[in-house]
Amino acid sequence: MYRYDQFDAQIVRERVAQFRGQVARRLSGDLLEDEFKPLRLQNGVYLQLHAYMLRIAIPYGQLSPRQLRRLAEIARDYDKGYGHFTTRQNIQFNWVALKDIPDVLEKLAEVEMHAIQTSGNCIRNTTTDHYAGAAQDEVLDPRAWCEIIRQWSTFHPEFAFLPRKFKIAVTAAEHDRAAIRVHDVGLHIRKRGDEVGFEVHVGGGQGRTPHIAALVNPFVPEDRILDYLEAIMRVYNRYGRRDNKYKARIKILVSELGEAEYIRQVEEEFAAQRPDEKIDLPAEEIARIHAYFAPPPLAEKSAGSKLLDAAKVADPAFARWTRTNLHPHKTPGYASVTVSLKPLGVAPGDATDAQMEVVADLAEQYGYGDIRVSHAQNLILPHVALDDLPAVYAALDAAGLGAANESRITDMIVCPGLDFCNLANARSIPVALEVQKIFADPAYEEDIGKLHINVSGCINACGHHHVGHIGILGVDRKGEEFYQILLGGRADEKAALGEIVGPGLRADDVPGAIHRVVEYYRAQRTSPAEKFIDTLERLGHQPFQDALYAAD
Amino acid sequence: MTSVRPKLKPETPKAITGWATATGRSVWLAADGSWTEDARQLAVFIGDEAEARLAASMKQEGVVTDPYFMEVTETGEITGRETLRESMRANPSLAHGGAA
Repeated sequence: MYRYDQFDAQIVRERVAQFRGQVARRLSGDLLEDEFKPLRLQNGVYLQLHAYMLRIAIPYGQLSPRQLRRLAEIARDYDKGYGHFTTRQNIQFNWVALKDIPDVLEKLAEVEMHAIQTSGNCIRNTTTDHYAGAAQDEVLDPRAWCEIIRQWSTFHPEFAFLPRKFKIAVTAAEHDRAAIRVHDVGLHIRKRGDEVGFEVHVGGGQGRTPHIAALVNPFVPEDRILDYLEAIMRVYNRYGRRDNKYKARIKILVSELGEAEYIRQVEEEFAAQRPDEKIDLPAEEIARIHAYFAPPPLAEKSAGSKLLDAAKVADPAFARWTRTNLHPHKTPGYASVTVSLKPLGVAPGDATDAQMEVVADLAEQYGYGDIRVSHAQNLILPHVALDDLPAVYAALDAAGLGAANESRITDMIVCPGLDFCNLANARSIPVALEVQKIFADPAYEEDIGKLHINVSGCINACGHHHVGHIGILGVDRKGEEFYQILLGGRADEKAALGEIVGPGLRADDVPGAIHRVVEYYRAQRTSPAEKFIDTLERLGHQPFQDALYAAD
Repeated sequence: MTSVRPKLKPETPKAITGWATATGRSVWLAADGSWTEDARQLAVFIGDEAEARLAASMKQEGVVTDPYFMEVTETGEITGRETLRESMRANPSLAHGGAA
């Protein structure tokens, strides 16, 4: 993984010292909240419903065991013993005190982490495929390019005060696990022969005005991608709306200009770049960054494992977990393991300090020191030998992390909602947990197959409800929580926005309604191999809507 | 901090709430002028006194952040359009993990 050089380390240290001074001035009353707010936001500090929330960047979702142990320590010493992994591959602490945050940031700096650009109208954490470097279907490891983009976008003076926040996602696999089409910029790394380039999508996003990104350029050569991103950003910076925050995202600019005109302007900007302002990105520098992400020294193994096969026979729960939580690895004899942070009854994405330490230990012992955070709010051990899976599962299960539900119906993406968030209109965690209960039987859940439920507590859509196969959106009606149901969304390479199917439901009615929809699917699918989303797309929304609103 | 706060009439009973600057915990102004994390201890104000108390609170930047009026009944029960949100603030243990 990327390691800080002396300049990185110095910049982060100085930033901590600077913020320590700002916090002291705030606590003394010398800085007013209106003055302090933009400063704290630039350091990832929000003021939420019950406390300050600190959002820490996990660049492209990669952590070392040392870093994860440090996050566990922070959870234990400065929070309530847990942290919340987010849909942007970051982590949030929900109960940290402002007076402690400079100390927390100092501890983070010691392990090459920070909270810079996790808030504010700047380019945020670049996210990617959580199986990067391990996936069979990638053309190359996208993390190096995420790192290059991170270095380009961090403290970029021209893009520090954009009309609105800006999110970039990168994938290098045909199956999009990074949801690139619902990001401000989505980059798909492709190869044409030996040439590497980027398919560029712009203007995706969720929130109150969801859009699927437009394909702006099918192939930008790798040595020009930063120039191309600058052209995209400049057009946005120049014409993006600053008069209305609800119309300030780049998706609105693309929509209002029209795709053709927007593309024309970007291409014009790109063509007009002077030679002296082009970013020099020589092949040697690209290779230098790639070297940080060299594959781990995986031992040569056979494609199967007798040890694994025997363990599956001996333990049906383990066998189920191997069917649901493993992803094929590009190297024979290995797999990528999803550590589900969606056990029953736990806020999705939450991990305790002890659980983080267990995962860190496992990564060190069995996973070549590599840990990822997925945008679906789980942790990943990308490189685990098949022979080691029984031991890994046993340790995870003992720590309450053995849920066999990756991409299944209880593996929900859920925002913090009104339990924590100042913007939320309704609680999202409790309704998600009630839905989980309906599908608590592992055999039943496995039979249902892959099905994504995403839950948001307000229209800002942090829970990605627009792109859930089933989306749940909490709304407030005169002080009472109601939940609108959406059907048909998806965040993959066939990205689509779900449609609201009818009037909102009371919280108590949501689990039953979801259950009826799922049962309708099970009755109608051509075989267990036909996924929910495929049956839905085959039959259309109406019969599912009818099932949703049918009386019990 | 909330996206939209209701405007309350002078005669509407109200409490003053905000966040402790040092910790970020929700606090309410008590009758003795102190800030309490226990919403049951909040004081109820109306009319000019409410305005004066809020104005004074806004000058305590190092102590309390973003104080505002919260609608309550005459006996200090949370009521009005923001009942759900304010009830969550008043009972952080209701938040999932909040009791940890």
